[in-house]
Amino acid sequence: MIDTAVALSPGRGLGGRDLPDGLLAVRAAEGDEEAFAVLVQRHGRPLLDLARCMLGNPQDAEEAVQDAFVSAWRRLPEYRHSAEFHTWMHRITVNRCLTMRHRRPPPLSLDTVAEPAATDAWGQPARSAEQEAATAALVRALGELDTGQRLCWILREVQGLSYKQISHVTRSSEQAVRGRLFRARRSLQEAMGPWR
Amino acid sequence: MAVDEPHAPPPESLGADGTGPKPGAADVPSFADDVVTPCGRLLSRIWEQARDTAQAADPHISSCPHCREAAEGLSAVTAASQALRTGDRPGLEALADRVMNIVRAEVRLGRLLPLADPDRALRIAESAAAKVLRQAADRVPGARAAACRFVPVGDGVDLRVTMTLAAALDRPLPDRIHQVRRSVLRSAGQDLGLAVTAVDITVVDVLEQEPPCRPGLTPGGA
Repeated sequence: MIDTAVALSPGRGLGGRDLPDGLLAVRAAEGDEEAFAVLVQRHGRPLLDLARCMLGNPQDAEEAVQDAFVSAWRRLPEYRHSAEFHTWMHRITVNRCLTMRHRRPPPLSLDTVAEPAATDAWGQPARSAEQEAATAALVRALGELDTGQRLCWILREVQGLSYKQISHVTRSSEQAVRGRLFRARRSLQEAMGPWR
Repeated sequence: MAVDEPHAPPPESLGADGTGPKPGAADVPSFADDVVTPCGRLLSRIWEQARDTAQAADPHISSCPHCREAAEGLSAVTAASQALRTGDRPGLEALADRVMNIVRAEVRLGRLLPLADPDRALRIAESAAAKVLRQAADRVPGARAAACRFVPVGDGVDLRVTMTLAAALDRPLPDRIHQVRRSVLRSAGQDLGLAVTAVDITVVDVLEQEPPCRPGLTPGGA
């Protein structure tokens, strides 16, 4: 079944930008590159955010998301729409991030996170020193979480996914998601104690 | 902070079967390592409510000092995580370009279909023909093509098109399908020079007529 809810308007839509994900994915699976380009535009940014939080730096995040999209393009002909494209794409990206984490040394050196700069590790303009340090501390604490907890926390707090969506991405029950989220919050709260 | 040391919620806080939530904790189950506030609420629930205002609120939590303090315990995390969600982020364009360059280099042509020319020497890639016929279907207002496949008929150049469609329901479907079929047949003959003998159409989804602007479906949105 294809996603419902799509806006129709005259004169718009031949480029596919108003089409639902499922329909674009069917087209892309048949080799329609334009349809895939719309999916990349639509999902790229949240997936980059996810990868940046999982991996701790923008360069690795870009590599992970690029690999994830290329892998999705190759696998689309076998994609059976049992999961929404959004969920399927999140899973591919998460797996890619996990592989990269295994392959690389610890992702967040304290120096790179704490170093003051015009733009920080997240590519943002410099904030106040205190905010900067608090964010660095959070990122560091995030990096020390158990992978499942970190993933659930990022999907909820950064991506804004619902418990149900998170349970689909992580292939676990909503109860398990709530448990991981609670433990993640507790660990992060302890780590952030000095910033209260 | 005014919460007990981590411990399992007391058995009496569970439902009669020992697994359900306590009364007042509504439908929120507990975890083995959850924490109970002095007022008997679960820390996990207080945090969920603090972070998710859409959730059916427990009025007690907003008025109880213990619960408020427990919720505020998360404030430093919440404030710092704001920076991960907002602010200027590097553009997507370079990444999208790299992805699409790789994708275009791995072109999937599909089968080669015979054009209806007397010498039977001309061919077109299935993916290219499908794209043109999808566009023909999309030109019918309230219709958007999804899959488009070709099935050879007999030994010659004749082809049957199998198409799936999302269609709006503001008019009777048979009319719209008929229009799509006509548009596809015309395009197959005139634009491509394919000998399409039939167009099988299956409606697989319903298109909603638009509200004027839908956030999240705008270009690059969602």
